Order: sequence, then C-alpha cells, then structure tokens
Amino acid sequence: MKGYRKYFGKKILWLVITFIAALLLNFTLPRMMPGDPVAAMTAKQAQGLSEASAVKAIYDNYAREFGTNKPITQQFFTYVVNLMHGDMGTSFSQYPRKVSNIIGNAIGWTLALQFPAIIIGWLIGNLLGALAAYIRKGFDKVLMPITLFLSSIPAFGMAVMLLVVFAINLKVAPISGGYGFDMLPNFSWNFVVSVIQHYQLPFWSIVLVSIGGQAVGMRSMSIYELNADYVKYARFLGIKDRRVVGYVFRNAMLPQVTGLALSIGTMVGGALVAEIIFSYPGLGTTIYQGITMADYPLISGTTLIITVMVLIATFVLDIIYGFIDPRVKAAQFD
Amino acid sequence: MKHTRKILSLLLALMLACSLTIVSAGAETVELPRNETLYFAGQQWGSINGWNPLSDDMNNAMGITQDAGGARTIMYETLYMYNMLDGSLTPLIADGDFVWNDAHTEITVKIKPAAKWSDGTPITAQDVAYTFETNVKLGNAKGNGYKPYVESVTAVDDSTVLIKAMLTDAGVAVNPLQLVCFLEECYVVQKAWIQTLEARCSNDTTAMKNDAAEDVVWSGPYTKYFANDQKVVLIRDDNYWGQDASMWGSLPVPKYIAHVIYADNAAGQSALKAGEVDVCQEFIANVQDLWLKDGLPISTYLNEAPYGICVNMPTAWFNLDIPVLQNASVRKAIAMAVDYDAINQNAMTGQSPTFADVPRSCMNPTAGEQATFDHDAVKDLQWVGNDIEGAKALLEAAGIVDSDGDGWREFNGEKITLNSCCPNGWTDWMAAMEIVAAAGKSIGIEITTEFPEWSVYQTIVTATTQTDYDIFMMWTDSATPAQPWGRIRMMMSSEFIGVEGNWSGNWGHYSNARIDEIIKAIPTTTDATELKNLYTEAVQIYLTDVPSFSLMYRPNKFHAVNESVWTNFPDSTDGRNIPPTDCTDGYGIAALYALELVNP
Repeated sequence: MKGYRKYFGKKILWLVITFIAALLLNFTLPRMMPGDPVAAMTAKQAQGLSEASAVKAIYDNYAREFGTNKPITQQFFTYVVNLMHGDMGTSFSQYPRKVSNIIGNAIGWTLALQFPAIIIGWLIGNLLGALAAYIRKGFDKVLMPITLFLSSIPAFGMAVMLLVVFAINLKVAPISGGYGFDMLPNFSWNFVVSVIQHYQLPFWSIVLVSIGGQAVGMRSMSIYELNADYVKYARFLGIKDRRVVGYVFRNAMLPQVTGLALSIGTMVGGALVAEIIFSYPGLGTTIYQGITMADYPLISGTTLIITVMVLIATFVLDIIYGFIDPRVKAAQFD
Repeated sequence: MKHTRKILSLLLALMLACSLTIVSAGAETVELPRNETLYFAGQQWGSINGWNPLSDDMNNAMGITQDAGGARTIMYETLYMYNMLDGSLTPLIADGDFVWNDAHTEITVKIKPAAKWSDGTPITAQDVAYTFETNVKLGNAKGNGYKPYVESVTAVDDSTVLIKAMLTDAGVAVNPLQLVCFLEECYVVQKAWIQTLEARCSNDTTAMKNDAAEDVVWSGPYTKYFANDQKVVLIRDDNYWGQDASMWGSLPVPKYIAHVIYADNAAGQSALKAGEVDVCQEFIANVQDLWLKDGLPISTYLNEAPYGICVNMPTAWFNLDIPVLQNASVRKAIAMAVDYDAINQNAMTGQSPTFADVPRSCMNPTAGEQATFDHDAVKDLQWVGNDIEGAKALLEAAGIVDSDGDGWREFNGEKITLNSCCPNGWTDWMAAMEIVAAAGKSIGIEITTEFPEWSVYQTIVTATTQTDYDIFMMWTDSATPAQPWGRIRMMMSSEFIGVEGNWSGNWGHYSNARIDEIIKAIPTTTDATELKNLYTEAVQIYLTDVPSFSLMYRPNKFHAVNESVWTNFPDSTDGRNIPPTDCTDGYGIAALYALELVNP
C-alpha cells in the first residue's frame, strides 16, 4: 500500500507540474498569433462608419475592457485569478458572452457525439482486428484491405463522402444541424427521432475511421502475441485454446487501451471535422471559430478543457494499467 | 464481459439522455409549421447575445442591423426605409416626407399618429430624441458615427422631431447627406425602456451596452421567440401598429421568421437546395445552374446575369507607402493589364456587369449613381483591361524597363517584386488576386499572391502605415443616401492617412489636395451642374492617378429565393419597386406583406 501511495503521490506531483506548464502555454501561445482580435471586434462595428475618430473610440473602448493594452504578465495573472473563480474570461468573437457559457452550451453535444463514437469504434475495431488475427484465412484477406482503406481515409474525407452519398444523393439523412431545421428543442417523440436522425452521419463518420485504425493495430499486436513463446508453451501444456486466446488478447490490448484513453482525452479537439462538415453543434466549431478570429480567451478555454481531459485520461490510465497488467503493477511497487 | 456490456449500454443510454436534456432546455413549442415560417440563410453567423438595440455586440443580425444601405426593420424600426433601387426614402415611423429648412441645416420629421410600441403606448418625438442622446452617451457605433454630423435631435412636440446639423465655421451643415442617412439607418428605441435599462444598470454605459434586453419594448412587426446556438426564431406581433391603413394596411404574411445558424456558406446553400431555406443571402457560384441544370424552384431578382443589383465594387488598393507604387504609370499599367472579364467569370461566375457595360468610375452601376458624372469627359481615361501591349507601352514611356534582360522590369535598378493579398478563404477575392498576379507577369512585373488569415489581414490593412501588402483588396461602400460621395471619400480622402485602426477608407494612403477639396465641397453643393462637375472631376482624378482599381461589381445583399413554399418574392419585372434586400432591409421589407403560399 505504501508503494501505491508513493507512486500516486509522484504521479499527482507530475500532473500538477504538467498542468501549470500547460496553463502557461495555453495562455501565451494564442497570444503569439499575429493579428489583433480587438481590431477584428472593432471591424464588425466599424463597417459603414465613415468617421475615423469614431472607429478609434470603439477600438480604445474594447482594448480597455479586455485589458489588451496592459502588459502580458499582468494579463496572465488576471487570467489565473479569474480562472480560480471559475471565470474563463469573456469571448472576443462572441462578446459579451462568457467563455464558460459558450463551452457549457457546446460541450454536451460534443461529448454525446464523440464519447459513444470513440467507444464503439474502439470496440468494433479491436474485435475485428482480433478476429482477423485469430481466424486469418478468408476473413483476414477481406477484412484487412477494408480496414486499411477505412483507416487511410482522412476524417473530413469520410464525413464529406457520407454527406454526399446519404444526405445529398440518397436523401436518407439530414444535411446539417443537431435536429430538424423546423424544430424547437422539446421533450417529444418527434424531437428525439430528429436528434437521432441527425446524429447518424456525424457518428458513423467518426466510427468508421476509427474502426480502421484500431483493427489494423489490434491485428498486428495479436499476431505478435499469438506467436509468442508463452502461447506455444501453454499449448504444449494442453491448456484450452479459449483460455490461451484470453491471455493473448489481454496482452495485445495494452497499447490499444492507451490509444483509447488518449482519444477520449483529445476527443474535444477531434470533434472539429465532423462538427464543421455537418454543421453539428459542439465544441469543434467553437474552437475553429476561436482560432480564425484570434479569440484568445476562447482558445485558452477550450485548450484548457482538452489539457485537463488528457491529464485525467492519462492519470486514470496509469491506475487501470496496474489492474490489467500485473507487470506494470510490479513496476509501480519498485 | 457481461459487466462490461452492461456498463457500456448504460453509458450509451446516459449519453443520449444527457444530450437530449441539454438541447431540451427552454423548450416551448414543438415544430414551426412550414407554411407559416420564412427561413433565411446567410444573415446570422454564430449565436446571438441578446436583443439590445443600443448595443453593438448582440451579434443578432436578424433583430438588429442598422445599415445605411437599408436598416433591418423586422423588430426595431427607423423613421424612413431606404430603397436602393431609386434612392428613395419611404416613411415608416415618420409621417410623410421630411422637410429641410431653407439654410439646409435642419430637418423636421413628423411621427405617424398610428405608430405604437409593443406595449401599446404611442411612439413620440421624445423617443427619437432620447435614443440619439443615449447613443451618443453610450458611445456606440451609431452615437459615435453620427456625433460629427448631428448637433442635436429634439422634440418640438410629441409628434415633431427637429434634427439640427453640426455646422462648420462658415455656418453650413458639415454634411447634409449624413443627416439623410441618419433618418433611415438609426432605430428609434422607447424612452421609457431606455430609462428602465439605465436604472437597472445604474447608468453604467458598459453594463447598458452588454444588457441582453430580454424585457425590451419594440415597434416592428416581429419579436423574439426563440434563440439558441443552432437557430434564432422571431414571431409575428399580431398587435403590430403597422397594420393600420396609414402604413401597410395588413400584417406581414409569415408568422415566423427563422434563421438556422449554419457553419458555413456550403451548409446554407445545401439547405436552400433542399427547400429548407426560402431566402438566401449568400454568394452562390453559377447560381443559374440551380434552375437551369438542377431544375430547382430557385430564382434571383434578375432572371439573367448579373442576377442581382450590384451596388459596390470590391477594389484592389495600391500601397502608396511602397516607393515603386508611388509611380502612377506602374499603377495604371498593372490595372490596365488585369483581365477583368476573367475575374467576372472566375470570381463572380458572371454575376457582375462587365467594365465594358459599366465603365469604371467611383460610382456603382445603378442608374442614379451613373447619372452623377459626365461619362464623355472621362472616356479617354478609361481602360477595358487585358490590355497587355498598352500597359507595356505605358511602362516603357515611363522608363520602367527590363535593363538586365531577365524578363522582369526594374525600378531604381532593382527588380520590381510585389505581392497581391486578400484574406484566406474569401474565395472570390482570392481568384481575383490570382488574376492580378498573372497580369503582373504578363507585363514583366513579378507579383506573388499571399492569403493571410482575416484576423491578421485586417490588423495590417488598417494600421497607420504598413509595408507588408503591396496590392490588397478591400470593399467599398454600397448604395446609401450619402453615395457616391461617401465612396469617393472612402477611395481617396487623405483624412484617413495616419489614423490608427483605420476602417474608414483610403487604405493605400493616397494624398491629393484637390480631391480633398472636392470631397469637402460635394455635400454642401446644391447646384446640380456644379455637383456634376465636381463628381466628374473626382472620377477624372481617380482614373488618372489610379490609387486603387475596382475588380468587379457586387451586390450589397445576395438574394436567392426558393419558391417551393413561398412565392411572389420581388422580381425586376414585377413593377413593384421592392429592392432585393432579402425581404428584411430598408424598403425590401415590403416583400413580407406580399408573400403568397405556393400551396395555400
């Protein structure tokens, strides 16, 4: 038990250090982008204004309000202090909306789309990969090219293909949005059906692409493990095939679990493509908009979410590893 | 394995339930009946922040758009409605035409007796006066924008408004044209509601501007109904005062105005094709294919090219802070060599009048603006484009030659290397800049294209000085009552040189004392002949010095309609004189009262 405590203590310490470093980068990197977001905000008001002094007044007003006229160190400390109060700041591009409000409205959609898609893609992919390795022959010959093909299609390519085939040509799926264009959110059967219909294409565009990658990885790992000495030895001992296969996949699974944890951690960022192509509500479009508009608070806010999720995912992973693989547990005690 | 399956299915169900709960917040009505709803695309980008007509930051395009080219009067109203087709002003809240005093320094406007707020109280002159005072106090775009031209707005009595112009030292109005713009651009907001807002915000100007104004009082035919990150819906106010015989005589036809918030133009256009959008304010490449090839019930205001009413000119500006571009021959040669027909075909897919049809000037192609100057007097200064030999001859004559035989011309002994820039992703502009670059190559001047992100681009273009972009694109003013004066000022006035954060014009920093005099003189000139002479001279200077050159003509608002549900949209042949401003802007809102259902 003492070993565990020491191990986790160390892990948490590193977690905190990483978090602080990430926070610093989250704050400074967006601000190093060229371009002046306050000028962009002014631009929205200034079009049609012919008086230069009037434009200048608007600009100064915003600069004062956002504190962009203050030194960057002072801006950072203000940011950290606000963050401690749960305030991620005010968005430039959607002023006067709070970043936390924007993220709060969008993140539910992203999680609801990405989380099931990642899990299902991972499960199906690994199952297919494992089967291909175990059954081989015809199954492998058909499956491998298909999974290779799927994994080589970029996410946006898959999304556009599905959109063109199913929504535009076959007209069996809606083109865009999170629910019907003529609907207002409510608890009704029609609305639920509409949400599910709109969910299909973005969901499958993510699942199909991830199936490919997972299956290829799992197949290679399984083949490697199936030829390992311990498998041969177990077979010589006459241990049932079923049991042997159980060991094999447990070992082959390890890198796959890492992949799963990381993709859950980075899912907010990964949502970008599917959400943009299907005009699906969520954080992906928010991040994209933040970047194109040089909206520092919004970029910092969304990247902070990603950072925290990755940190949590890797931390949880470390714990889970100990349970899945006794060798890791042993190492942890050392 | 059993456990895992259980946990997984539980998780999935939970996620779906979560997503439903999230989107269900604020549910009221189930569905918008299709034959009672008019759907829009291309007006609202991103979610709205509120309904405050005194704020510049509501990002609420459908509810709040105060534009001199025609304010959007769906929810809030202006005194007059501008019609870009003939430059006329139709009274809205105002009763009859406005009246100038003899000295042309004051405008008197009467208020319609029938005009009412949504709470049933009459709209008074005090409301107009208090709105202006508040705009100035808040320092919002309308306040700052009109402060230099409007000295005061006062209520003579409940139904009479007196607008006094800011005067010059000589006692004449600084700019009477801007006073006319004021009448059709600025909303009238209820005084009583503004006072409620002031009390709520303890008179703090920032708090007042950031207030979402959920309790706002309006005067227009529609009001807020629903808004989230995916759509915004307005509902007709069946008590709207405008159904009085002194105004429209009826209510607008659609009960709901809805705008789904699309991620980009492509999504909006897919929805238009699918019949999910009725009115689309987006540039659609080869728009005619939608009805000619795809057989869709989609149409535009004009049945043939250019399909829309083009009222402004996206323009390439020469950076006069770059030494080689201070040479007028180099500027004109580049402008002469550009293939404008190719730009029209590639960037605008033919949706612009050609420069052969409407020769270049500072005026847009509308008949009104074209009549302001003497075409014959500027004929010899014109160029049609793609004139490679003419451009080369001009350069040779100016001594700009290729002396080292490498195929590129030199200036002061150095090879001329320029860039042509516009924001990344603005595809029509990017296509135009590529053609400008190609023109340079054909006359021995190396021009390379650069497409930075908009956030970077606009910072550099509006800087006091910049040497990053040599030839770069910006827009020019659309049709307003202050045109073409405002556009000439935008294109050439030296008052914008040295201004930090310059969004007003003359981004190439051109300076000419004579044009400054003309710009100053036009607004206060009332003699028609003299005015025409001034406009003609301005065009002569523009075509001689070429501080910038327009690349195409373009509508202010694109206007494509799908007639699968609604019909009787404005059309150039219907004789109704309703401008194609998406049934929402200026006098274009008249279209809402004439719409008919395809299947009643």
